[in-house]
Amino acid sequence: MSDRIIFDNVSKFYGDVLGVNRVNLSIPPGITSLVGPNGSGKTTLMNLMTGLIRPTRGSIQILGMTIDDPENLFRVVGYSSQFDSFPKGLSGYEFIYSYLLLYGFDRAQADEFAWRAIDRVGLREAAQRKVGGYSKGMRQRIRLAQAIAHNPRVLILDEPLNGLDPLVRAETIALFRSFAGEGCHVILSSHVLHEVDIISDQVILMSAGYVVAEGNIQSVRNEIQDQPMQILIRCKQPSELAARFFEEDDVVEVRLHHDRAGLLVKTTNPTRFYRSMNHLARTGVGLESVAPVDDDVNSVYEYLIGEEGSR
Amino acid sequence: MAVYKRSYRGYSGALTPAWSRFLVLYRFARRTMFRSRFQTGFFTLCFFFPLLCLLGIYANAHLSAFSFLTKRSGPLLKMDGSFFYIFTSVQCTLAFLLTAFLGPGLVSPDLANGALTLYLCRPLARTEYVLGKLSVLVITLSWITWVPGAVLFFTQSAMEKGWMAANFNLLIGVLVGSFLWILVLSLLSLALSAWVKWRVVAGALLLAVFFMGGGFGNAINAVLQTQQGYLIDIARLISIVEVSFFRDGTPQPFSPLEASLALLAIAGCCLWLLMRKVRPNEVIE
Amino acid sequence: MNLLRWQQVLGVIRLEIRKTFFAKRGFWIYLLALAPVGLFLLHTIIEIQLRHMGRTRDASIGQMSFIYAGIFQFFYLRLAIFFGCLGIFMNLFRGEMLDKSLHFYLLTPMRREVLLVGKYLAGLIAASVIFSISTALQLAAVLAQFDSATISHFLYQSHGLSQIASYLGVTILACLGYGSVFLAAGMLFRNPIIPAAVVLVWEAANPVLPSILKKISVIYYLKSLCPVSIPVDPGMPSLLALLVSNAEPVAGYLAVTGLLLLSALILVASMKRVRRLEINYTTE
Repeated sequence: MSDRIIFDNVSKFYGDVLGVNRVNLSIPPGITSLVGPNGSGKTTLMNLMTGLIRPTRGSIQILGMTIDDPENLFRVVGYSSQFDSFPKGLSGYEFIYSYLLLYGFDRAQADEFAWRAIDRVGLREAAQRKVGGYSKGMRQRIRLAQAIAHNPRVLILDEPLNGLDPLVRAETIALFRSFAGEGCHVILSSHVLHEVDIISDQVILMSAGYVVAEGNIQSVRNEIQDQPMQILIRCKQPSELAARFFEEDDVVEVRLHHDRAGLLVKTTNPTRFYRSMNHLARTGVGLESVAPVDDDVNSVYEYLIGEEGSR
Repeated sequence: MAVYKRSYRGYSGALTPAWSRFLVLYRFARRTMFRSRFQTGFFTLCFFFPLLCLLGIYANAHLSAFSFLTKRSGPLLKMDGSFFYIFTSVQCTLAFLLTAFLGPGLVSPDLANGALTLYLCRPLARTEYVLGKLSVLVITLSWITWVPGAVLFFTQSAMEKGWMAANFNLLIGVLVGSFLWILVLSLLSLALSAWVKWRVVAGALLLAVFFMGGGFGNAINAVLQTQQGYLIDIARLISIVEVSFFRDGTPQPFSPLEASLALLAIAGCCLWLLMRKVRPNEVIE
Repeated sequence: MNLLRWQQVLGVIRLEIRKTFFAKRGFWIYLLALAPVGLFLLHTIIEIQLRHMGRTRDASIGQMSFIYAGIFQFFYLRLAIFFGCLGIFMNLFRGEMLDKSLHFYLLTPMRREVLLVGKYLAGLIAASVIFSISTALQLAAVLAQFDSATISHFLYQSHGLSQIASYLGVTILACLGYGSVFLAAGMLFRNPIIPAAVVLVWEAANPVLPSILKKISVIYYLKSLCPVSIPVDPGMPSLLALLVSNAEPVAGYLAVTGLLLLSALILVASMKRVRRLEINYTTE
């Protein structure tokens, strides 16, 4: 059985409106973040993965299963959607327990799984209260508990960190990590780019219904060749080093760092640049550190999606 | 100390006069209404029968041109109370159906989505909000009920000298019947949609109130051997009022005044319910 | 159906029953069901009062059963149960779409057809319980004005018991038939009021439909099963009376089979639709 989530030339149109177009993806286990501006197709992609909507064209396979096979698919898939709504009149515990019974678990098992999930999101005290009375953060957590209650191998989470306070945010991120550590897929969407940066093993950047980039963020950054890479060099004699850099063909810009203890260099050929840095290090310019500053999600997002994302 | 750049400037242009501010809601609702092809189609269809009647009046007045068709010397149509009664009944039925499609979508989405506060945080009072929403139905339904009715009346008056003076009560019948019908229909549909806050159920309830009212009214009459059951049959009450203008001597269970009072009482109840539900606060349970 | 699917059907029923019986939104359905009970109770109280005062309208049990048959066929079946089922069954899918909670079901390892069956059965149980209790209470209210000897004679020697059983059976079959129609309408149409109005007109026009078309309506089968038949209104306009085609009433077993078949066909069509159902709450 495949361990990948595969989108094969998937398109989804809502009438005349484009949802996503010609998406080809093969998502490995680990934490994968969907990043893109509002309306870029992140939720559409998640809804397609879970069969809540059907592709207009193409096919989707989740660990070798199709979305037309709910009986097997949802034993391994858990989805916490962005719909902030719940069946009326249920408490947090009843909400999880009642739906667990639909998995075929007996009452004792469903009860055990429900409490375990509730404990994992830290909602034991509020579990017997009606969900209607929960705060936004609590509703977010109970949805997460419902998604993980049956021990899925694929966890799909639409904006899972929205409305969580910093402490719970950290705990939730740790929870995602533990899932990914067990070899599960955790696919999440988020607007908070620095969080995406911290937690993701790979990202899928989306814009206007198209996948504009996918994979490990550093690899993605290396692929963006029309934007010179920015490298921060900490050294004792920055002005002397700057003069040397101007002799390099691939260096297009050198700026003195605002604390005057380093240089910000833009290069069109990072590999060659790092090689020449090795050579420079031996000449006694007092190099302290060399680190890229724009191979994070934020920069990649800025380069690939740019102003469109901020609209 | 922080220095903020002030880029925001409040609107300083001309404002809609306070007395006609409620019509802003009408303008927006009209745009939404005609976005639906079904509703636009149905609204257009509502003019088919008045047009047919207008042609009938024209043909009636120019009978000589059509004598080869009829081979008779008398008028094609008798322009009397029955003609206007049938016209009003058909148009009122269409108005009912149009209200069932349009009415529930006016208030319920605002209440269900907590959008009422967005209206009321502007210089718009609760009464103006209700008036604005009511005006959507009143104006739309007027176009298909008393407006074409009046056009037919005046067209016939222009065609036949002395007819207007002899039949002025027919115009009053068209106006009173249509006004009462529009008032009750509009208030009922707004009240029901404010109560259930769900467009679809409100539409179903409107159908239920009319059909169930008629059905249960008849059941009351049959079981209790009375005629008081008609008091909850809105269509029957309207018909009593209309018949008093259009057809003389038809025996009715109530006088037109009693029927009108019953209709006004129903409208009053609806208004009370509507005002109770249209409040700028939300109870989270 | 395997054991898991039965468990799933029961799970859905458990969740839905609770929502259907205790939803504030469904309060008016109780009103619909209980209105005729109140009416017959009022009549009984008036009759008893009149008897105490020495004045009597001499309504025999036969007359009352005839009046009841009329109310049952023309008001209770065609309007009360019709609109009650509209409220209950339409809510099953369309209501959850509006509440934005249907996706929770679609994310469980359950075939959508199983969900449909579970929801339909839950609606059927709720509608049958509410309207059967109302039917029983109405009959009790009608009979309450007579003395025990008259009642026992009616029940045991004048087919009273079989009549009561027939009324209860017809009530449940009405819920079954109308339920399937409105479940399908709730799934097929974003605004099920339009099809509901069409069905209402179709059912009301049943007497004037050609014999073949009569069979594609719920009321046709239900009418055949009613224990007391009501003749065509002699006051009906002559033109309309000409149109009324009196199709032969079908035998009981055929009527039940026909109704079950009709409902099954509608449910099968709904199953085809539910497989393609998409969650798009924004258009609600």
